[in-house]
Amino acid sequence: MLSRRTFILLAGTALASRNAYAQAQVAASDIPRDQLLILENPEGTIKNAGWFNIWAINAGGQSTGLHQQAMDTFWYIDADHGIDGVWDNSLASEKPKYNSDFSEMTVKLRQGIFWSDGVEFTADDVVYTIETHLKTNGLRWSAPVQVNVASIEKKSPTEVLFKLKKPNSRFHALFTVRWNAMWMMPKHVFEKAGDVLKFDFNPPVSLGAYKLKNFDPGGKWFIWQKRDDWKRTTVARFGEPGPGYLAYIDPGPPEKRVIEQRNHQLDVIHDTSPEGMFTLAKESPSSTSWFKGFPYAHPDPTLPAVIFNHQIEKFQNKDVRWALALLIDIKAVDMASYRGAATISAIGVPPTGLYPKYYFDPMEKWLTDFEVDTGKRKIKPYDPTIGQQIADMLRPSMGDKIPSKPEDIATAIGRGWWKRDDQAATELLETAGFTKKGNEWYQPDGKRFSVKVMVEGDIRPVMTRAGSLIVQLWRQFGIDAQIDVAQGTLNDRRGAGDFETFIGWSVETWGGHPDLSFFLDSWHSQFVAAPGKVQPPRNWQRWKDSRLDKIIEEIRTIDFDDPRGVELGLEYLKLVAQEMPTIPLMSYNVFTVMDTTYWKGFPNAETAPYTDPVPNWANTKYMMVKLKSAKAG
Amino acid sequence: MRAYAIHVFKRLGQFILVVYIGITITFFITHLTPIDPVEHAVAQVSSFGFSSPESIELLRKSLKEMYGLGDNLWLQYLRFLKRVTVLDFGPSLSAFPTPVGVLIARALPWTIGLLTISTLLSWFLGNILGGLAGYYRKNRLLRLVGVITMGVHPIPYYIVAFVLLIVFTFLLPILPSGGGYEMNLNPGLNLPFIGSVVIHSILPAFSLILVGLGSWYMGMRALVSNIVTDDYVVYAELAGVPRGRILTSYVMRNAFMPQITGLAISIGSIFNGAIITEYVFGYPGIGRLLIDAVHAADYSLVLGIATISIISVSVAVFLIDIIYPLIDPRVQVKP
Repeated sequence: MLSRRTFILLAGTALASRNAYAQAQVAASDIPRDQLLILENPEGTIKNAGWFNIWAINAGGQSTGLHQQAMDTFWYIDADHGIDGVWDNSLASEKPKYNSDFSEMTVKLRQGIFWSDGVEFTADDVVYTIETHLKTNGLRWSAPVQVNVASIEKKSPTEVLFKLKKPNSRFHALFTVRWNAMWMMPKHVFEKAGDVLKFDFNPPVSLGAYKLKNFDPGGKWFIWQKRDDWKRTTVARFGEPGPGYLAYIDPGPPEKRVIEQRNHQLDVIHDTSPEGMFTLAKESPSSTSWFKGFPYAHPDPTLPAVIFNHQIEKFQNKDVRWALALLIDIKAVDMASYRGAATISAIGVPPTGLYPKYYFDPMEKWLTDFEVDTGKRKIKPYDPTIGQQIADMLRPSMGDKIPSKPEDIATAIGRGWWKRDDQAATELLETAGFTKKGNEWYQPDGKRFSVKVMVEGDIRPVMTRAGSLIVQLWRQFGIDAQIDVAQGTLNDRRGAGDFETFIGWSVETWGGHPDLSFFLDSWHSQFVAAPGKVQPPRNWQRWKDSRLDKIIEEIRTIDFDDPRGVELGLEYLKLVAQEMPTIPLMSYNVFTVMDTTYWKGFPNAETAPYTDPVPNWANTKYMMVKLKSAKAG
Repeated sequence: MRAYAIHVFKRLGQFILVVYIGITITFFITHLTPIDPVEHAVAQVSSFGFSSPESIELLRKSLKEMYGLGDNLWLQYLRFLKRVTVLDFGPSLSAFPTPVGVLIARALPWTIGLLTISTLLSWFLGNILGGLAGYYRKNRLLRLVGVITMGVHPIPYYIVAFVLLIVFTFLLPILPSGGGYEMNLNPGLNLPFIGSVVIHSILPAFSLILVGLGSWYMGMRALVSNIVTDDYVVYAELAGVPRGRILTSYVMRNAFMPQITGLAISIGSIFNGAIITEYVFGYPGIGRLLIDAVHAADYSLVLGIATISIISVSVAVFLIDIIYPLIDPRVQVKP
């Protein structure tokens, strides 16, 4: 036992050390803490930290503040509401202009924008960027430029004309930031650099409101300083960025992020675990998140789902896919994966950004009336109250953290989903020729009905938990379901179609804009690879359907903002509800947590949904102009 | 002397063979893993927003050329062997085009600094305490130290590390939770930087010492327990030689020999890095670099780190083999 005197002595020493450490932290830096915003860089430690040539693949980091604060391009689309609407003309002064057959695109540039070394940004930079990508293989955007662009012409110092190899009504997407896009290169720097693939671009010349101040050669932190001439950058239209300095750091694993924020040494956590989020919600009064209460997280505009490999025979019958969907208890999956903090979705787009307005509202009645023919009867599988049920289930333990208004529940937790229906699943499987012997299901060919669910393992624990629960639910029904942990090999196996099913996403949307071509174009059957061959991105399910092809082909011929795009999107949603090529689960919720000790004005769902707060998104440049020092009162 | 020269020559042959087999196995294991660095880069690039299948195919082709992965495996292997003789591991695939050597050279000093100090300290403390505990078996304080040391030893390392982390960074936030030094300091021979490095190494070093102590302690205590019953020790005691002298000159000196072997191998293993320590404490060493390289399917970097590790452990064993006959009269070489 410690004597009282020893205890007091030890406690005093600890407290003194704590103060000394806190002072040492400030003293070690020449940046006052109240002028510094510290954000997590989710890329972790950057191995070749001294590389800032973002156009070279794998050279340096990009979420180090580089693409958020130093890069710029023509347009930005916000995944949420946007600071001044969803669409922002950034380096371009207006929206893209196409000719009638979408084989040419004209871009008018904003005037008065300068690189951080004082050189003005002009059409010459754009032409240089495109021509460099046309003649250089292996740059990050070489391939899409070479596939699409026939030539580029400078029409004036503020206007360029792209001539395309073939009509493409979505060519501008290459220069439209969702979380990233093709950035403009400073001609005056790169033309003197020699081989662009071997040029480190250190220090980087910035088009954004911040320029590089200092970085750790070991890649743990990068510090950016507000430019004196920030008024000559594209965000200046919205005001002066608040923080004088930004630090993008690698704080380590989730538990350390929580520690750092609780110690007020990490203002914005990119993502932590649900448990980490709950700890901060309970223990750190200054921490805020996207939603004030459950589910706290920012819902990513992606849609995690059970993705079937349609080149495997047993999944080619939609009755089988529907039977597997009806065996899922989404409430249990929600609890297992996110401890309840998910936003569920029954349809083929995520319930995020403005998609509730574009797609979920118009689909609600259709879903309520929607019927599935089990072969023996018709059922209405949609239960519009599941979101409400989840809220009610969580309320006893979470109290007022759970929203109570139906519209708030719909936004935060989700609307309806497919109700678990073992009897309907039985009928669907029997219609498909499956049989049950004892408690085991058999395929029409007499083999045991087995389903492997591939998950990433520790790399993506939330999805792994969801997959494990789904396997358990299917096993309870008599299916020989098994988890298939891909730990680090998921990308390769997914591409090659080396899986039966997996938990992941093949749907990624703009979030703020209703156009679905971002992911949908690659779902066209023309791109589906032969079994075993590597599959082009996104249509991992390798699903072919002529009705889908027709929708995609029409989208290709209409303008990005054509209202017909939403109608076609709704047609797609009805088709995937009928066919169930993937079983949609929920949005990918990112537990971004923001500490208000030093800064206020962070975006949130209720009062300030102006941008996606997840700090590796390039859109977060807009966040800086909204942030004000907490000292200001 | 001729016998010794033959011994050295044989051991040198073994050393070269072990290194060759080791790096060959490592080469084929890394290249036969199901993770493909090209697909890894494609997945990363396509997440930037474009998913046009034609573009992706073109990108795939360019990357294979750039990474030198277009040739068959045997050609790649021969090229690797040629390069490894001059310790050139080519460019890193996940930090392209930075040479692997540059990345290793940047990380290695951190690992060597941390692990050398913590290995030597745990070796020194473990052996002294173990030696004392083996000799003064009835001493209560030493028994208590033994209980603590043996109690901590079986606890999985990451648990010890996390407990230290929680105590000293969360409950009593008096030490930094990670990294090699404070943000916004410039590395160099300046007091703020050196001081910051020392402060940041306290927790990882302490965790390594705490866990490493146990095995040295147990080994030394067992060795000393055996030696104290030997005739020459008993005779020295009967002859009235002071106990302290018996302990230092007769007991520990003899018990140290196998411990020195262990130390040499541990020093050689420093080049493997302390993966869990570096991960938990975000320490910028070679272990952390290796983990990142494995996750990114960076063949070149994995091979670079593995080769250096194989060579360093083999060198340590080789040196022990050739030094032992010179310092331990019980070891004799025969022609």
